[in-house]
Amino acid sequence: MKIAALGIDVGSTTVKMVGIDAAGEIVWHHLEPVDPRVEKQVDSFLNKLKQEINSLNNIPLIATGYGRNLVHQAVKNITEITCHAKGVYHQLGHGGTLIDIGGQDSKVIVIGTKGQVVDFAMNDKCAAGTGRFLENSAARMQVPIEEMGTVALSATEEVAISSTCTVFAESEIISMIAHGVEIEPILMGLHRSLIRRVVAMVRSVGLVPPLLLSGGVVKNPAIRKVIEEETKEQVFLPEHPQLMGAYGAALFALKLMAS
Amino acid sequence: MGITDSLKYYWNVKVVGQPFLHWQRRQAERRPKVSSRWRSDILSPPLRIGAKTKELISRHYLEGRYANGHRPVAWVTSGGPVEILQALGFYVLYPENHGALCGVRKAVVEIYGEAENAGYSTDICSYARTDIGSMLSGKTPVGRLPKPDLLLACTNICQTVLHWYRVLAKHFEVPLILIDTPFVYTKASDHALEYVKKQLENSIPIAEQVAGRTLDYRRLKEIIHLSKDATELWLEIIGRGRHHPAPMSVFDQFIHMAPIVEMRGKKETVDFYAALLKELDENIDKGIGAVRNERKRLLWDNLPIWYRLRYFAENLGEHGICVVASTYTNAWAELAPLMNLEKPLDSMANTYMHPILNQGTKYKLDTMKRMVEEFQLDGVILHSDRSCKPYSIGQIDQRNLLIQEYGIPALLLEADHDDPRAYSEEQVASRLASFVEMLDD
Amino acid sequence: MSNPIPSRKEVIEDIKNRGELVAAVLPIHYSRALLRCFSIYPVEVWGPPKVDVSLGGAHLQPYVCSIVHNALSFLKMGGLNAADFILIPHTCDSLQGLTSVLIDLIKPEQAIIPLYLPRGQREEDIIFLADEFRSLYTRLSELTGKKPSSKDLLAAIKREETSDLLLAKLYKTRQQMGLSNLDFYRLVRSREYLPAEHFSTLAEETLQTSTQPRPGIPIILSGIVPEPMEVLNKIDEMNGQVVADDLACCGRRLYKPGISPEPFRRMAERIISAPPDPTRGNPIEERVKYLVEMAQNSGAQGIIFYEVKFCEPELFDLPNLRNSLKEHGLASIIIEVDINNPLPHQVATRISAFLEMLDS
Repeated sequence: MKIAALGIDVGSTTVKMVGIDAAGEIVWHHLEPVDPRVEKQVDSFLNKLKQEINSLNNIPLIATGYGRNLVHQAVKNITEITCHAKGVYHQLGHGGTLIDIGGQDSKVIVIGTKGQVVDFAMNDKCAAGTGRFLENSAARMQVPIEEMGTVALSATEEVAISSTCTVFAESEIISMIAHGVEIEPILMGLHRSLIRRVVAMVRSVGLVPPLLLSGGVVKNPAIRKVIEEETKEQVFLPEHPQLMGAYGAALFALKLMAS
Repeated sequence: MGITDSLKYYWNVKVVGQPFLHWQRRQAERRPKVSSRWRSDILSPPLRIGAKTKELISRHYLEGRYANGHRPVAWVTSGGPVEILQALGFYVLYPENHGALCGVRKAVVEIYGEAENAGYSTDICSYARTDIGSMLSGKTPVGRLPKPDLLLACTNICQTVLHWYRVLAKHFEVPLILIDTPFVYTKASDHALEYVKKQLENSIPIAEQVAGRTLDYRRLKEIIHLSKDATELWLEIIGRGRHHPAPMSVFDQFIHMAPIVEMRGKKETVDFYAALLKELDENIDKGIGAVRNERKRLLWDNLPIWYRLRYFAENLGEHGICVVASTYTNAWAELAPLMNLEKPLDSMANTYMHPILNQGTKYKLDTMKRMVEEFQLDGVILHSDRSCKPYSIGQIDQRNLLIQEYGIPALLLEADHDDPRAYSEEQVASRLASFVEMLDD
Repeated sequence: MSNPIPSRKEVIEDIKNRGELVAAVLPIHYSRALLRCFSIYPVEVWGPPKVDVSLGGAHLQPYVCSIVHNALSFLKMGGLNAADFILIPHTCDSLQGLTSVLIDLIKPEQAIIPLYLPRGQREEDIIFLADEFRSLYTRLSELTGKKPSSKDLLAAIKREETSDLLLAKLYKTRQQMGLSNLDFYRLVRSREYLPAEHFSTLAEETLQTSTQPRPGIPIILSGIVPEPMEVLNKIDEMNGQVVADDLACCGRRLYKPGISPEPFRRMAERIISAPPDPTRGNPIEERVKYLVEMAQNSGAQGIIFYEVKFCEPELFDLPNLRNSLKEHGLASIIIEVDINNPLPHQVATRISAFLEMLDS
């Protein structure tokens, strides 16, 4: 294994590190839930890698993501917007409109024909358009996060959740459950509510096909299905949807080394 | 204006539509049907006039649907001086009313979604978002809205309308008449009245040019006359709420106020309100109240929550509470005395400067206190409306003063007149319940 | 800069020590000259950021913007005690509401003086605004017992005009001056509280000192006020250079000299002919034209719409502005802030990503 460059993406729920070879292929990666002591966690990542490949000398590291400023081992910081665009473009070989739904932020990035960011949008301050909206509500219903999507898809009908505010939605759900509404249709309604917010962001930047999806939520099958329903576009996934930010950062590190 | 469009208009509106709506109304009057969901145990049967209200509103939107090419069309703000446009033969559309209708018919979320998708913030007024969404997508529960040939924005209800109408003007590329009405903090200054009058005068040639005809001042006077008559009738109708039990709740008023907002200056509007008044008087004679077992009476402040009218009527009705009066429906009545047929433009300037929304917070507090006394009310519900800052700012202090200075129970409810997403029924229900308990103490 | 810029507090103390009067003035447009004729010194209140928001929250709903909330909180915590009057221009529905609540319900010690600003740019609007200034003259005359002459008024207007011309010159030469974004805005925003003659001296001194121009990705800032000011440091850090602005507190107040020899009319002309501003009702088309020209003249590559949350006058125009700018090849981004919050991480990320996008 010959690692030429490294990228790290410190998100609000997980930390991802990617190593690439001189051709830009992913040859090593690691993912863990985020630790509040980020610098220490990064050290442990680097130590783990060092055990595998002996030396980390002269391998540049670029940091991205929510906690990018906390990674002092990095030679440079680049925002997750630019890194995601880079990573996804490099892996798929074309541009398009990328949706990335994270725990804290959701973003929509229009990637141009050369992999550059043409336009982007992020959710506003409230949590309504983020993964947190689903997580909170699923916790209310005591459904494990991993099963949320499958449970939602098993619904034979769907209820409309009118509140987009996380707090209001919670009280709406409690009242529905109290009135005997089943959990599955509520979960489906929640997915719809979240995706409508995200699709509003897509519309605001203007959808340039194909539609791409990355981030941890791709593991949730309902997300993909509802996005396809709401946009009437087929959704494409990169091979490592959760690693795209870190991958993009590594690609920038490789380029930095070359220049 | 084209012959084909006029023929289309006559065929669809006069030959087919109006007779059909008339027939539909007669059927409804002959065999009044009360929906099985109507809570007859707590509310008296709906007013008979409802069939006529429905006919008038449907006809208004039907006329609108075929107006383009046949008549000039103006889109106007709810507080706008509409008499000049009516005298010039304009078909007048009120986007705010349309927004309310979309709210009542539960069509808002889909329509304003179109505006939000186009980049309009969720923090702008929900009427404006609904209207812009409708403008961009053509979506409306009334079939089709006519395109405007002229826009008129009057700032006497808010500044929002001007920002909103600038968006319309850009989209439709038609002239926008601005009637700017300086806010009356304490007293309207002479130069402000002069300013409004001047703008009214200057608007005439613009409207004339769009309409392709000159203003007939005799016709203007007739219209102001009709407008005044209807407004005075509306004032009397609201005044009937003084009776115990009140023959009409504000939730009915919110529905039956549509003609006074969008069909002022028409003979049929005057007839309509005369008929409504007659029905109320009959009910008063028979002792029929809107709420069967009226025990408590309340005042409503601010705009309705359009998508939950029925919920409020029933939730409160269940406790024998009738919301008898509101500062909002009163706003279309209280200006009647200011209209003066002898000085049309001066009196219009004066009238349009003085809606409650263009006056200070003290005036509003005094209005609430006066209404509580006149209507013998037990408390006030203040709807803090996220979409209407001019109406809502001041309510926190007004509520406190109502309680502390005048001993009037008052409740502040956070919601939005047209955006169900900014409304939490669970929160509202628990607040209403504790308010009701407090009234009973 | 040769001399440090005095702070608001120092300026107020200085005025008070001289036994003169201070008017706290809320955003945006008014006539400084009219106040100065009565020896009243205007000190503007744009927020200020980071105050105890619970004080304003006791009177205003959460959907009122943080600038208006903070003005009230600041007043209630005694921040405006040095002011003898509070002048509130009618800028928006929220400031209208605040003015009315203050006059009718809260009733602070200082006299609350409203000023209505017309929403058109027509002849009748100029006449009305001139009348509005005349009636403000009468009010100030009653409050102070002074009766400045037409000559006094014109002299005061010309002093402000000189200052505004120097302000315009600072804008014109900003790219050659080598000031950081923060330093430039500290300088031009001192116009919010420095007496005109003092500001003029400061501006002239700055214009004479020349340093190396700073390179950077050229951008325009649009919105009401760049608070918290850290945002300007953030832009510096990311190698961005604000080369022009459409900010209500700054670029939208580059008033041109008036024409009329009649003082009240001249004051009105200056405001009505100022750069397009949604709070004064300018059509969207005028704003597009203005911004496109601004970008062409300054070489800006993109525009940051830096908006205070809940600011309706700003929010309505944005979709049209952004679409039209895009047609002219100008990228833009909307950032929404609450001026009380330290610059949130997400805002910093968006600005960074926007600059990365322009740079690529």
